[in-house]
Amino acid sequence: MTRATPERNNEGFLEDAWAWDPDVATEIAAEDGLELDRNHWEIINFLRDFYKEHEISPPSNRLFVKAVKDAMGEEKGNSIYLMQLFPGTPAKTACRIAGLPRPTNCL
Amino acid sequence: MNQLHTLHILNKTPDHPRFSECLGTLGPDDAVALTENGVLGLVASKALGLVQTYALESDLSARGLSDDNLEAATIDYSELVNLTLQAERVISW
Amino acid sequence: MGMLIIIDQPPYGTWAGREALDMAFALAAFDQPTSLLFTGAGVNWLRKAQDTADIEQKSLEKNLAAAPIFGIEAILADRTACQRYNLNSEAMIDGVQLTNASADLLGQYSQTAFAG
Repeated sequence: MTRATPERNNEGFLEDAWAWDPDVATEIAAEDGLELDRNHWEIINFLRDFYKEHEISPPSNRLFVKAVKDAMGEEKGNSIYLMQLFPGTPAKTACRIAGLPRPTNCL
Repeated sequence: MNQLHTLHILNKTPDHPRFSECLGTLGPDDAVALTENGVLGLVASKALGLVQTYALESDLSARGLSDDNLEAATIDYSELVNLTLQAERVISW
Repeated sequence: MGMLIIIDQPPYGTWAGREALDMAFALAAFDQPTSLLFTGAGVNWLRKAQDTADIEQKSLEKNLAAAPIFGIEAILADRTACQRYNLNSEAMIDGVQLTNASADLLGQYSQTAFAG
């Protein structure tokens, strides 16, 4: 049986963050041509925890980097590392894959 | 219990001028139903205890006030609707 | 010096406070030293155990807890307003500094802006 994909908005973000599961992440990542490895999952799981704790997505790229740095240190909390994992606008790409709402201040 | 004369539905904080205006008009057979930011009146104001006071449970919970020992009967939306039906008049502040 | 954002509006029921919080986060994103001051009915943002499930809004308590992560320097609360709203230290979220909202306090910041 095929599982129904949760409802998404016109930019591909989930309408309901709680409808997310890891299969959804794999599916959304594939649309961006991404195959998720350990490093991606580390950030995705961080974002899921962040959302549970704070009920917001990091509002911008800079704040996404700050939040990752706060949790995991300089090595992962830097824009080059995150850009390599999540091309484009890293906060948007990562939040989309992690099932979080669209970051409010990302153009 | 006396017939409920006027039900005052108050959704303003105690810092809003309409809050004290409402309190100034209360008659002995009136009741106050606190909704939205009006529920903050329960932690800030002493004058409310004079008439029967109700407060919406969902608005108390949102503001972290549901466990406090407050001088109001907590109600849900259907009970609020019932109150508006019982009252001769309703004022929404 | 830095920037002081003053929230004197209650949580929920109005968007003014939430917009001010967004502004504070945006300033912090660009490493502008930014602090938040809660006065008047605004101190009710700082009460613990806000459960917003039934009003179907995001919890401002949880949003605000992200402030230190995003680099907000301090969360200040006016002592008199806390007393007025019966908000003692036990009922208050962690990490709040009590102060007196006065001209002296505002004088410590190069810019001050109110919510709404």
